[in-house]
Amino acid sequence: MIVVVSSTGNEITASIDPRFGRCAYYIAYDLEKDTFKAVENTSRNATGGAGIQAAQAVADMDADAVITTNIGPNAFRVLEAAGIKVYSGTTGTVSQAIEDLKKGSLGTAKSPNVGEKFGMGQGPGRGGMN
Amino acid sequence: MKQITIISGKGGTGKTTLSSSFAKMAKDHIAVDCDVDAANLHIMLSPSIKEKNDFIGGEIAVVSDDCISCGRCEELCRFDAIRDSTGDIIIDPLKCEGCGVCREVCPADAIELKSGRQGQYFVSDTGFCPMVHARLDPGAENSGLLVARIRNIAEDIAVKENKKAIIIDGAPGIGCPVIASLNGVDFALIVTEPTLSGINDFKKAHEVTKFFDITAFACINKSDINSQNCKIIKDYCRENDLELLGEIPYDGKVPKALSRKEFIIDFPESPAGGKIINLWEIIEKKLYD
Amino acid sequence: MIISVASGKGGTGKTSVAVSLARSLEYCQFLDFDVEAPNARFFLKPEIKNEEKVSIKQPYFLQETGADFSRCAEFCHYNAVAYVKNKVVFFPELCHGCGGCLLVGPPESVREKDVLVGKVLKGKSEPGIDFLMGDLIPGSLRTISVQSRLEDYISKREKVIIDCPPGTSCTMVTAVKNSDFCILVTEPTPFGLNDLEISLEVLKNLSIHSAVIINRDGVGDSCVEDYCNKNNVKILEKIPDDIKIAKAYSNGTSIPEIYPEWKKRFLAIIDIIEKDVK
Repeated sequence: MIVVVSSTGNEITASIDPRFGRCAYYIAYDLEKDTFKAVENTSRNATGGAGIQAAQAVADMDADAVITTNIGPNAFRVLEAAGIKVYSGTTGTVSQAIEDLKKGSLGTAKSPNVGEKFGMGQGPGRGGMN
Repeated sequence: MKQITIISGKGGTGKTTLSSSFAKMAKDHIAVDCDVDAANLHIMLSPSIKEKNDFIGGEIAVVSDDCISCGRCEELCRFDAIRDSTGDIIIDPLKCEGCGVCREVCPADAIELKSGRQGQYFVSDTGFCPMVHARLDPGAENSGLLVARIRNIAEDIAVKENKKAIIIDGAPGIGCPVIASLNGVDFALIVTEPTLSGINDFKKAHEVTKFFDITAFACINKSDINSQNCKIIKDYCRENDLELLGEIPYDGKVPKALSRKEFIIDFPESPAGGKIINLWEIIEKKLYD
Repeated sequence: MIISVASGKGGTGKTSVAVSLARSLEYCQFLDFDVEAPNARFFLKPEIKNEEKVSIKQPYFLQETGADFSRCAEFCHYNAVAYVKNKVVFFPELCHGCGGCLLVGPPESVREKDVLVGKVLKGKSEPGIDFLMGDLIPGSLRTISVQSRLEDYISKREKVIIDCPPGTSCTMVTAVKNSDFCILVTEPTPFGLNDLEISLEVLKNLSIHSAVIINRDGVGDSCVEDYCNKNNVKILEKIPDDIKIAKAYSNGTSIPEIYPEWKKRFLAIIDIIEKDVK
């Protein structure tokens, strides 16, 4: 099972980046092999729909689950369509979150954190911050 | 960390007067000026620029000499941006939306999509707080994109420096830059005035906040210039469950103070100054609780 | 002759000046290009005769055909289409209606439908003002689409007054670019001056002649007037800061209706502009 975590850095010691669509890196962690790959988020400054583009990229990584803090409705819709579980509201380090996931102590997101319907003509749909 | 955007629908109702006052009174915060094509917040906050960056906007189609003038691009352009002028294909950069359809259908591979600089954005220090602001090049497009960029940067700073609040000065109207300034914020403060135009645009701005599910509050500026219209606004707020946070009377000292780049809140004995301080006390509780 | 009325800063009095010019002319065409917040109708009180819907064409996807829509997701420049696990996820708010999906997508599996973004209203105000305005649906981003429809109706025969949106970016440019002359309305404050300078540059880039009206003269300082004098920018008029004008404005009454002697002054402005355009 592959879980993708939004991260501020390219190591699992880094802290979770609170914004799914605009984070610095994605850590794609393979739970069976206990290996990971850090992927730079090229959607960060996308010309529009950054969250959507990021979600598409994460789906293309064959992710089964995503761990993040805040995720907007557009990115959430894409992940949901891909059948990817979303654990939002998570903070701390990437490695701690992975441990918590293995132990089964992360809840599952039911709906996005921020308002519905955010799409902007030439701006991104993205997760906001609380 | 919470974010509040000050919008109005109608221009000139007092967004910048309020946001600059709030930026002066708040603590542990960042100010963002999202009125990128007529930015005014810097006039009050006098930021010293620490970082300057070019803003590269969206793409525009450009046609090369390989063009064989078949006209296929003109047929398919939905934005009326392509014209056949005596055998030469001309693409109007003001109308082109960079969709890529013309490039896709060109049999001669004569069309490219190019992006160029559309403005600049800055990270600055005001003495009250960090400030993120921008200048769109005159006539440029993608104002919504530029707003999204500076919002993103402000959030980066807030995360890094553990800020408690982001105060956002919005643009007039209800278009892309306004919507980009509302994306994901915790609250919108809609500033209105008791004029027919003000009321109309206030309702539209409120509809936008409802459409995007943003918690909104209202305040009436220059409230005493028309008591009948003021009542209309209050009735609307009541009927639409919109909390009215304050009424600021017309105060001739305000434009004079602004002209001298002075804050009206530094004159709390002035009617408007006192009311703005009260308004901030209410908002502060909501932002920092 | 087409005259646009614009200003960088909002709330300086564009609409106030535009409707005052129309009321003084009495016979002209008036177009409200501020389609996000159209207010001129409260002053000109037109009898609306016709409403025209403005729509864009947006795609819908026949997913039951099992076709591969990945090209649509790859092509879209606005990220309005995602394609994951053979499912299309479409974001209408981001879609510009470019027709790309229809073009590159699996044939027969992508169709289009009209989506309303706003409307154009046409009417008449006494005694002979042809009134047109655009009205964007709140939440829609297609300001340009509504303005473009309005552009189709600009008269080539009558004197035309165009009320522009505030700002200096694409929506303002769309409103001014068809005009022969642009009046910039500003307030005599550092804010007014800041935005005036940007507006002047926009008009210079568009090669449109312009001049300034200072509104609410007396409310701030002389910075705008000094700038104009120093930079050879013509000041057409100075409208005083007057509580009667402000109260009238709040009720949808224009300046010549409150002060009849101003009708002559607004007509004089049109004369000056006409001479300049020739």
